[in-house]
Amino acid sequence: MSTSSPILTVRDLCIDLFTARSALRPVDQVSYSVAAGETLAIVGESGSGKTVLNFAPLGLMPLGVSIHVSGSIRFDDKELVGMNDEALRKLRGGSIGVIFQDPMSALNPARTIRRQIAEVAELHLSLTSTQAEARALDLLKMVRMSDPEARLRQYPHELSGGLRQRVMIAIAIAAEPKLLIADEPTTALDVTVQAQIISLLKDLQKRLNMAMVLITHDMGVVAGIASRLAVMYAGRVMEYGPVQTVLTAPRHPYTMGLIDAIPRAEDLPGSAFRGLPGMPPVLGPPIPGCAFVERCRHAVATCETTRPLLAPTADRHVLAACPIVNRSSEALHAG
Amino acid sequence: MLSLVSRRVRNSLVLLVLATLLCFTLVVSAPGNIAVLIAELRSPNASFADIQKIEEELGLNDPIPVRYAGWLTGALTGNLGISYKTGEEVGPALASRIPVTAMLVAGGGTVALLLSLVFGFAGAMWPRHWPDVAGRGVALLGASMPSFFVGALLIYAFAVELRLVPTFGLAGPSSWILPWITIGLLPAAVLSRVVRVGLEEAMARPFALTAVAKGLNRRAILFRDALPNIAPTYINALGAQTGVMVVGAVVVEPLFAWHGVGDLFLTGIRFRDFMVVQACLLIFISFFILLNLLVDIGMIFTDPKLRRQGS
Ligand SMILES: Nc1ncnc2c1ncn2[C@@H]1O[C@H](COP(=O)(O)OP(=O)(O)OP(=O)(O)O)[C@@H](O)[C@H]1O
Ligand code: SF4
Ligand SMILES: [Mg+2]
Repeated sequence: MSTSSPILTVRDLCIDLFTARSALRPVDQVSYSVAAGETLAIVGESGSGKTVLNFAPLGLMPLGVSIHVSGSIRFDDKELVGMNDEALRKLRGGSIGVIFQDPMSALNPARTIRRQIAEVAELHLSLTSTQAEARALDLLKMVRMSDPEARLRQYPHELSGGLRQRVMIAIAIAAEPKLLIADEPTTALDVTVQAQIISLLKDLQKRLNMAMVLITHDMGVVAGIASRLAVMYAGRVMEYGPVQTVLTAPRHPYTMGLIDAIPRAEDLPGSAFRGLPGMPPVLGPPIPGCAFVERCRHAVATCETTRPLLAPTADRHVLAACPIVNRSSEALHAG
Repeated sequence: MLSLVSRRVRNSLVLLVLATLLCFTLVVSAPGNIAVLIAELRSPNASFADIQKIEEELGLNDPIPVRYAGWLTGALTGNLGISYKTGEEVGPALASRIPVTAMLVAGGGTVALLLSLVFGFAGAMWPRHWPDVAGRGVALLGASMPSFFVGALLIYAFAVELRLVPTFGLAGPSSWILPWITIGLLPAAVLSRVVRVGLEEAMARPFALTAVAKGLNRRAILFRDALPNIAPTYINALGAQTGVMVVGAVVVEPLFAWHGVGDLFLTGIRFRDFMVVQACLLIFISFFILLNLLVDIGMIFTDPKLRRQGS
């Protein structure tokens, strides 16, 4: 649906994760692409692999976890899978900006806001420290911080969660990245602040013509900001397509369940929560069939054994990993 | 911040007053009679009347608060009484010894500071590589050997066998090296672990991941992000280790025949020279109170949360 060619193209990405105690595959054959100026939203339950998918290939995993990545990630005409550490490091904070979920812990408590922003400009834009600090001030204005001069001198503990997230955004866009990855940027914030942060991200993205990947739980956010949506379940993409189409006419039983679970205005107060029954599978070795089979009311015998691949549906812009529902089209889906 | 600092200063002053009371108690309760001693020094066959006259001169019969006031004004002007053993004034003797101990502790502190930062940082930079392993080895060695043993070993190796430095005495830079290492090794061991472990903990915190996401390399992250976060802990530990070194001076000074306060204190105890002991104690306790104050202020300055309090 986007006219420009994608700046980020992920193909058949698999990520295996090894810790001292376990080996699992939190990302299993994932494919998607994002163009400049476009936003891809990734939704999925907790533990479905959204964070690992986006951060592990960039070398952003916490200590004590080792990973193996296969497949392909093309970003800005470079292949990221197998790229050497030094080249990858130059991309981080430079052409790829990152925003984490929890602004309370993501900033360094012992350093001023000024230095924490300015060092990015020093590193990637080769500015002197005076120039970089002037840029830090501009960035705080860009993220619509009140009283930016005073903020620069402050320490993180002196700022509220919303302000800290603005600082984090300023850090992420300090070097004018081509791609911005935001991992649940509003989850840890007050509801009133959430909307401000989302609209700020939207504006900045337009202004800098960035490609953006937004990880979120919030379907309301998805509709407001994203042009494309990828629905993840147990490390796999279940459905992928234009936001409006997927939200109004989901083609995968999991997406249907997710959308059905969104509280609606006509719900009576105290009415039963319409969540999906059951729990997502515990991640471990790759699942042979469809990962959703245990919770799916459309499941048939082959779902247990044959892994459904992401394939075009009746609307060819929408891809879904469920041949059962999409085999003979509308009749089944309407139900 | 200022109010926080002034509160700490006030607390230290209160402690100091208590310390003088303690030392004074020691003087008052000292066995033996200074008047007898002084009388004997003046003339070998002093009479009971002579002794009583001297008691009167020294104010030994005054009420306790008056004696405390007299003792305190004396102490403040450097008059710390007369040694029971030598009959010399304690104040000047002490004054000549303070620079020696100060030099020993300052030198040992420098050794500890440098070694701990270099080894702690190298260990965190290359975990489980040779600097880390070597650092741990030295730390274990330093922490498990008493300083008189370290000193004896160093003297044997570098002074007796290799003849690189003098075995004892205080004569020029070459004679400083062994005492400094002897007294600084244990603190270096403890502090290098503080740095190493502190940096590692800081690197596991979420802000370190943010630093990685900025594209900084590991060295820059350790320096800029991890180091400022361990500063208050390090200053605290450095203060404690300085205290350890002052206590260590009592052992190390006699070993190298350095005539410092530690050496004086030890002699004072050996000969039950109460005036010397109380004077040394007064100096030691005052130093510890000052040290604590400096550590507190250092922590206030390096911890942004404390720094902003009350300002
Ligand atoms: N540091 C880690 N150590 C061990 N396992 C991990 C680690 N991080 C992620 N995992 C595993 O990888 C899987 C995917 O985790 P991930 O954090 O990507 O999920 P997510 O979709 O981002 O969830 P959330 O919405 O809760 O952030 C999880 O099942 C989790 O058990
Ligand atoms: S493949 Fe089978 S189990 Fe999976 S979603 Fe479709 S119907 Fe359900
Ligand atoms: Mg996550």
